Amino acid sequence: MADLITTDQLLTELQARTLDAVLDIIIPADEVRGMPSARDVDVMAYVSEVAEQRVDAIREELDSLNEESLKETNAAFADLSIADQQALTEQLKATERYFLVTTVLQTLNCYYQHDTVLTALGMKPGAPFPEGNEVPHGDLSLLDPVRARGKIYRE
Amino acid sequence: MAEDIVDVLIIGAGASSAAAAWSLSDTKMRILCLEQGDWMNPSEYPSNNKYWQVNRNQFNQSPNGRKWDTDYPINEDDSAISVANFNGVGGGTVLYSGHFPRLKPSDFRANSLDGVADDWPIDYATLDPYFAQNDRNMGVSGLAGDPAIPYHEPPLPVVPIGKMGDTLGRGLNKLGWHWWPSDAAIITEDYEGREKCVNLGPCNYGCAQGAKSSVDIAYWPVNQRLGVELKTRCRVREITVDENDMATGAIYFDEDGVEHHQRAEVVIMACNGIGTPRLLLNSTSARFPDGLANRSGLVGKNLMFHPWGFVKGHFNEPLDSHLGPMGSCMLSQEFYESDPNRDFVRGYSLQFTRGSAAIDTAVNGTFGGDIPWGSGHHEAFEKYMGRDINANICCEDLPELCNTVTLDPTLVDSHGIPAPKITYRLSDNSKRMMHHAVGKATEALQAAGAFQIDAAGHTAGTGWHHMGTARMGKDPENSVVNEWGRSHDVKNLFIIDGSVFVTSGAVNPTTTIQALALYIADSMKKNLANLFD
Repeated sequence: MADLITTDQLLTELQARTLDAVLDIIIPADEVRGMPSARDVDVMAYVSEVAEQRVDAIREELDSLNEESLKETNAAFADLSIADQQALTEQLKATERYFLVTTVLQTLNCYYQHDTVLTALGMKPGAPFPEGNEVPHGDLSLLDPVRARGKIYRE
Repeated sequence: MAEDIVDVLIIGAGASSAAAAWSLSDTKMRILCLEQGDWMNPSEYPSNNKYWQVNRNQFNQSPNGRKWDTDYPINEDDSAISVANFNGVGGGTVLYSGHFPRLKPSDFRANSLDGVADDWPIDYATLDPYFAQNDRNMGVSGLAGDPAIPYHEPPLPVVPIGKMGDTLGRGLNKLGWHWWPSDAAIITEDYEGREKCVNLGPCNYGCAQGAKSSVDIAYWPVNQRLGVELKTRCRVREITVDENDMATGAIYFDEDGVEHHQRAEVVIMACNGIGTPRLLLNSTSARFPDGLANRSGLVGKNLMFHPWGFVKGHFNEPLDSHLGPMGSCMLSQEFYESDPNRDFVRGYSLQFTRGSAAIDTAVNGTFGGDIPWGSGHHEAFEKYMGRDINANICCEDLPELCNTVTLDPTLVDSHGIPAPKITYRLSDNSKRMMHHAVGKATEALQAAGAFQIDAAGHTAGTGWHHMGTARMGKDPENSVVNEWGRSHDVKNLFIIDGSVFVTSGAVNPTTTIQALALYIADSMKKNLANLFD
């Protein structure tokens, strides 16, 4: 049943396990900073809502990663140790120009718009409008030497 | 039934059109504007949505990328710069950043001062009162006293420069260079029924607050109250003329694709420096076999963009540079005027704009190699987020006959109207100027304390400014319109957009385009008694 895609699932079980594993490799949690792992922000829910046209590319990339893992280690990517997962992804990044490019891009798009992440970064989550942002006026006395120099344009 | 003839027919509802319609409205003439695009709904702009960072892509500035049904395609295969525009009520101001510097006195005298290009038939002083009027109409903020431009007082207080402005200002002071907070078409106080800027950020994807002075917000509601008629989704195919070389109106398709002939006593072209020559070249007849108003052969020639470059600096201290109106912080015009010690003539502006939002920081850093996968990701992201400043390089582009807008032999829009083809190359002067500017932008950012500089240099997708393709002048052999925008060949045809620029200066052109439009409209009013003589 591992390859079955149901209507409410965008990925097979194997693809989902591969994605979870690789998301933890791309952006792991950082407890000190209070940052979640990318596997905890529901990347596929975001993709299905905002970038559904990218689902096929993500599936292909995950399948390809898993095939490489089976070829290189005789084990599914999700079943490797974290050290082996890191080693394999580093190797593939070095040799394949577009390795996981869609998956990484959509992961970053999801992660850095996620309320939990933005809040942990000290940034306002959600839409900028209507609240907006505070920006300090700045120190306009810094312009004194510019004024003192006088006119610099030609007539 | 009597034929419907309007007094003034304006083609296009962008920056110049809005200003001219406002000025002409006090004549009580019947004024009709035809616009191929729609009214925009500010509630649909990206900053209303939590996914605003990626939704920006819906408002792609390239018509070839956007592909809305209100757009027309452009063949850019032979151009070093690709076109950015917007087709709708407000035109390019819907997606501009509101950076609003004026051309300078020397820009009108390039030939007299530097022996290149031609002088304009008018000067800065002629436009000065129209700049001021337009600033009041649009709602412009700024700080009086910039020593790089004749004294003027923007009606609203300056946009906050923020921590990044302080950092940059200190750096530029070390070098002894000019800098000044930009004039901005952004209201910093409640103004004329509009609410002030709240620093949403992405001005150039539409302002949800309505604080950015796009002309669909600042001008058109007023114009309509003054009686100006505006029809949207009306795409003009050609301007018609009679046997006396007088324009008689325009043939256009309405939103249902039905063709109409709108008659008019006066026709004003306001379709920008690409749309206007396209329409004139499409308006051929026995009297004008090479395109309307083109007996000089200069319609579509001398196309000027501004060769544009980018240099980014990354700083150690948190600057919150991702906050604030994206395009409006400050500019340096230290290298604006010609200097015989340089290997190029004329000059450039350095426009310093805000930093990247979170996704852009993460994506550029990750794919660029600065932000790794794994345990180092978060620390590296912190190192780059809110700590970057962009130096935009805006080079003066000199007119050259080889840079053109022509009609593509096969490409057409959704109504079958031939599309424009751009043929454009960077001159050697522009290349030398860009090289110099990249070095100086790097020097500025380093003086301000940048620990890392990413110099992209000239970037192709920056064709926001379209100028020169129906230049003004006193000599009909060497210009398309006279010194007040009237066609030399067709006495009731006027051009008021960036097409009439003789030279480009080295600043964003919108405020000058609008001042010109107000000046031309005022000239029309002053000459009403003998307008067609």
